[in-house]
Amino acid sequence: MTNPVLQINHLQKKFGHFQALKDITFEVRPGEVFGFIGPNGAGKSTTIRVLLGIIRASGGTATIFGQNVWTDSVAIHQRLAYVPGDVYLWPNLTGGEIIDLLLKMNGTAHSAKTDDLIKQFGLDPTKKARTYSKGNRQKVALIAAFSQEADFYIFDEPTSGLDPLNERIFQDAVMDLKARGKAVLLSSHILSEVERMCDRIGIIREGQIIESGSLAEMRHLTRTMVTVTLGDDFDVTTLAGVHGVTAGHAPHEWQFSVEDEHLSSVMSTLAQHQVVALQSTPPTLEDLFMHYYTGKE
Amino acid sequence: MTRFGRTGQLIRLNFRRDRFRILMWLILLAALMASVAWKFEDIYGTPSEIDAIKGTLASPGIVAMFGAFSFTGKVTTAEIFANEMLLFMALIQVVMNLALSVHATRAEEDLGITELVRAHAVGTLSPLAAAASELVIINGVLGVLYSIGLSAANMPGATTEGNWLIGMGLATTGLLFGILGLLMAQLADHSASATGLAYTLFGISYLARMITDVQRPKLTWWSPLGWVEKLAPYNNPHWSPIWLSLGLAVILLVFAFMANNRRDLGAGALTTRPGRREASAFLRGPATLVWRRQRNVIIAWIVAVIIFGVAYGTVFNTIGDILKTNPTMQQVFGAAMVHEANHKILLSFTSLLSIVMAAVATIPGMQLILKVHSDETRGWLEALYARPLSRTHLLFSYVGTAFVTSTLAFIGGLGGIVVMGDASLTHVKDGISASEFWQGVAAQLPEIGVFLGLAVLLVGCWPRLKAISWAYLALGFISVYMGSLLKLPDWVQNVTPTGWMPRVPMHDVNWTTFSWMVVLAIALVIIGWQGYRRRDLHMS
Repeated sequence: MTNPVLQINHLQKKFGHFQALKDITFEVRPGEVFGFIGPNGAGKSTTIRVLLGIIRASGGTATIFGQNVWTDSVAIHQRLAYVPGDVYLWPNLTGGEIIDLLLKMNGTAHSAKTDDLIKQFGLDPTKKARTYSKGNRQKVALIAAFSQEADFYIFDEPTSGLDPLNERIFQDAVMDLKARGKAVLLSSHILSEVERMCDRIGIIREGQIIESGSLAEMRHLTRTMVTVTLGDDFDVTTLAGVHGVTAGHAPHEWQFSVEDEHLSSVMSTLAQHQVVALQSTPPTLEDLFMHYYTGKE
Repeated sequence: MTRFGRTGQLIRLNFRRDRFRILMWLILLAALMASVAWKFEDIYGTPSEIDAIKGTLASPGIVAMFGAFSFTGKVTTAEIFANEMLLFMALIQVVMNLALSVHATRAEEDLGITELVRAHAVGTLSPLAAAASELVIINGVLGVLYSIGLSAANMPGATTEGNWLIGMGLATTGLLFGILGLLMAQLADHSASATGLAYTLFGISYLARMITDVQRPKLTWWSPLGWVEKLAPYNNPHWSPIWLSLGLAVILLVFAFMANNRRDLGAGALTTRPGRREASAFLRGPATLVWRRQRNVIIAWIVAVIIFGVAYGTVFNTIGDILKTNPTMQQVFGAAMVHEANHKILLSFTSLLSIVMAAVATIPGMQLILKVHSDETRGWLEALYARPLSRTHLLFSYVGTAFVTSTLAFIGGLGGIVVMGDASLTHVKDGISASEFWQGVAAQLPEIGVFLGLAVLLVGCWPRLKAISWAYLALGFISVYMGSLLKLPDWVQNVTPTGWMPRVPMHDVNWTTFSWMVVLAIALVIIGWQGYRRRDLHMS
């Protein structure tokens, strides 16, 4: 099965005069965890709601399993699991009842795996949903999703209320899905989570996908930080592709950033000037995010 | 910082938060009172008009709905007004107070807003004190508006004391039940339960006053809702009911403060118990989910409507026996004629109550249908939308439950009247027969259908306007409950479906009207359904 599970082409959504989604294009393939990231209000949840058939796209196409997300939503949802960012549960039902109900509505039932997940996440299923904290409400939705045997999983900021232990349980469960060839769309703000799990990421800003690809590919689009101490008076500002040069504490010490495409030429020039010490730091994910989120350097 | 620190600021905040709903209530209630008073001389101005209505008001059926009042000497227009309006206005004002009081306290707490407020330099009892002050001010202002309106209308027989007695009497009755709402909000641990408790007590007060009014009016003093009847503003003014209401309100408020002082934020004396570890086999889809969530409310409504029906039924033997008021009739007309007359009276009584019952039975159904939208905005449906579940299936789970609930409630209520009523009669043949009963059912079901259909239409196509369905139902209810006594023009009674069908079982069902009303109801549902399938769903 090599066809993409999810395929979005130039998707648009207008609310009145407000263009919430301008141009969204990406795809998710089987066995892949796709990280969907972007600042608040960029359109992540709107995109997901279009995918779920809750709201109707104003332009472009979106298909899951090759079927139209609006007209074939019922058929699609048969093989899809979803955990919303803010989980709202019926206040007078218990967590256990809600998990079972959600499973039954997908034609599956409470299994040993469900019990196992309840135990792993440490949820008390006999409590009424109105007494649950945010984290516990998320656990209910996560347990229901992981107990379900779906082909495509959508998680919208699923771990924002979980403690680090439960976050780890979540990550392991997602890696297990990936190993079993499932497709996962993960919207998240937690950088370590994205870095650990996602094969490819798509960055959305102001309703547009501004970048997508693997993390390694994206790192090439940014700059490496270099701190160097030279043996002579060479002025590094003369180098091509070098930015933000500052003089260091020691004599002949420099700090600057280099565009990745110029990295090798910069290095060979520096080598001719008696490198005493050299430190280079690849761009962190945080730098990457800041770069794209703010749209600035 | 004291326990009541910054109460003043919270009061201002409350008024700012509730300004539209308060303004709406004030305008609606004051205008209703003043306009009826204004028109009243035209309706009951002449001695012959007064004499005619005086007899009607003394009949047990009307006493059951409007309260028992005694007339002595020459009866004035103002006295008739007080008789017809006092209890009715009190009922609306209680509904207003219960809504405002729970909204201002437990509902805010459920939303976590109280937590946010209390984290500031605000006294622990301040939110409750602010809510109580809000109620005092609103009821006070409304009472003054009533009194001014009545003085301006200047009905024949009205006195300044009487005008102020009505204003203050309604204000204190409203306040009493508002404070009751505050107390329930302290005892229950979420707003739905607080509202349920408060309405249960309100219902008991209403039943107590109805039964005592019909059987022994002196005992009506035992129901707080009956006190407003005892004001007798224009013939024998009594201020004691006002002091009673105020005194009881103060006592309840002290209890509320004590309860608030002892409890943790978010907790209540009546706590939510743990429940099932796994879902029952029954809970498996959207329809059973609606039932599982709302079963207490649904059952409570049906039982309440049946109890009201039974309570109304108990007065059959008093109403349906002409000989009690006119013992010589049998000698003049003969037994057959008397039984015929008794039967006529009961038919007319049942026909009127049947429409009232239908309007009341519509309320739980309408609530359920409007939940389609409120659940949607609260995010409770998001988990369902992600399931292999069509919107049609989802919508009709609510709509179907709503239609069944309203139908059962109505049949139960009317059944309660007829079964209890017939059982109370010494001569059962005078009562309502089974075929007359089913005619009554058939006459009102299309009306319920049209009201619910309108709600489906609004939820499906224009969910922001859903409050219209309540206003429309309220208009229908008022035009039935008050229509004939206020001699409302025909067009007002025909605006809502409550006026479209002739009174059944007094008259026969008009099957033409029946058919087009059913078609209309179905059309409304279908349009709403299509709208719901096509529109974007709203999320929090």
